Amino acid sequence: MEVNLVWEGIKFMFLGMTTVLLFLVLMIVLMSYMSKIIQKYFPEPQGVVETASGSTAQNADKKKKIAAITAAIMHHKKIGN
Amino acid sequence: MPYWAKSMKALLIKLFAVVMLFGGVALMASAPHAQAETAVQQEDTYKSQGMFEMVGGFIESTGIYALINPDPNELNAHGEKMSDFHKSWGRVIMILVTFLMFYLAIGKGFEPLLLLPIGFGGLLANIPVADIAGPHGFLGVIYQAGLANELFPIIIFMGVGAMTDFGPLLSNPKTALLGGAAQFGIFGTLVGAVALSQYTDIFDFTLKQASAISIIGGADGPTSIFIATKLSPELLGAIAVASYSYMALVPIIQPPIMRALTTPEERKIKMTTLRHVGRMEKLIFPILVLTLAILILPDATPLIGAFMFGNFLKESGVVERLNDTLQNALINIVTIFLGLGVGSKLAADQFLVAETLGILALGLIAFSVGTAAGVIMAKIMNKFPGTKVNPLIGSAGVSAVPMAARVSNKEGMKDDPTNMLLMHAMGPNVAGVIGSAVAAGVMLSLFS
Repeated sequence: MEVNLVWEGIKFMFLGMTTVLLFLVLMIVLMSYMSKIIQKYFPEPQGVVETASGSTAQNADKKKKIAAITAAIMHHKKIGN
Repeated sequence: MPYWAKSMKALLIKLFAVVMLFGGVALMASAPHAQAETAVQQEDTYKSQGMFEMVGGFIESTGIYALINPDPNELNAHGEKMSDFHKSWGRVIMILVTFLMFYLAIGKGFEPLLLLPIGFGGLLANIPVADIAGPHGFLGVIYQAGLANELFPIIIFMGVGAMTDFGPLLSNPKTALLGGAAQFGIFGTLVGAVALSQYTDIFDFTLKQASAISIIGGADGPTSIFIATKLSPELLGAIAVASYSYMALVPIIQPPIMRALTTPEERKIKMTTLRHVGRMEKLIFPILVLTLAILILPDATPLIGAFMFGNFLKESGVVERLNDTLQNALINIVTIFLGLGVGSKLAADQFLVAETLGILALGLIAFSVGTAAGVIMAKIMNKFPGTKVNPLIGSAGVSAVPMAARVSNKEGMKDDPTNMLLMHAMGPNVAGVIGSAVAAGVMLSLFS
């Protein structure tokens, strides 16, 4: 019994392309909804500001720490002398 | 006698007793073995030979002799007989082919990260006598360890996921359709391949083989290797080489197709600036896609799951060390093994067959059809109301991240130097990776 390969191939193509496009369309729909929900209930701009300020605050902290450590070292050296 | 001397004596006696006990046991145990071993060794290892015999024997074990006078009993990596051609001139030709790969990788910069390990693996696999690609050679061991069970392509996918930024896709979701359309290259070629096998004598591919070959159109190396090892491991070498070669040739293959299908006006379309995408969207996206894959196509989840795992680690922002390892150390190590393992399939008896030419030709067709389908899809999308899409980004739907997106950008700038399409093209580009993983999942589900 000979299977018609071409017909099999066309069936594959039909099923394959449908699945791929269906998957991506569903992905697009869900993705858009997700973005809308997140933008509405968890608005980003504030978050950006927060993280930005957070990072600058961290930087300031680091600088303070460095200053404190240098001061300590200087102090120690002075005592040593 | 002082106390210390007494205790010392007792200690010595105990020690002596222990040594005698264990030593005696060991001797008793080893004695018969040792006798048997020496007897066997004397029997079959070394025979004294005359000088001429010795030199003759050595000459027979050289590579030159093996290439000129192939050993009639030599078997290939699968334990099958090989033709004399594959054992002699075939090997020389394949070694020259690997030299050509070195030239392309080093001189022309074609995907050197993969072509060099693959090429060198191929060189080693074609050495006579040593049998490096055989079951006990180190290439054979690497192949068994990570390719025969599809482990390496999956790990590569994790690294690719950690390197991928879904931001451009999230800010313009509909471009994902372009990544879907480009998968037509895969299925169109599948039909073409089986039609040619059925009605002509040019090729003779089974449905499984045709599927594995047409996946080259997905322009995704790890996916091609994953599918090829599952569906037709005998074609792995040619499929991997074709896949990576065409990915390297994207800047040459794609532009003529893109230009032929678009008008200058279309190429000048400017796309709206992408909005900023928040961290939470990027964090939820991998889980969303994986959930979708779980519900619709579990067969695609090994690929998509690994991909999204890498991406999730990256976007979580709390495991910088793991993310860094995935993107650099791990993917580099696995790339070396993957390349060598694929190279082991470049042995002459497996690569120098008529099918290889068919695979190279069909792979090129798959690639071109995919490119064209992406561009045409973009043109169709422009027929609908809504923001316009520059059709040049359609070609980026055949994964090949980020090369295909760069080509779109370059072609766009040829017509309008101020038109920056790179980030817009990254959307369909990463959607193409998901699309080809889904296509691969469909193939697997159909054959399972």
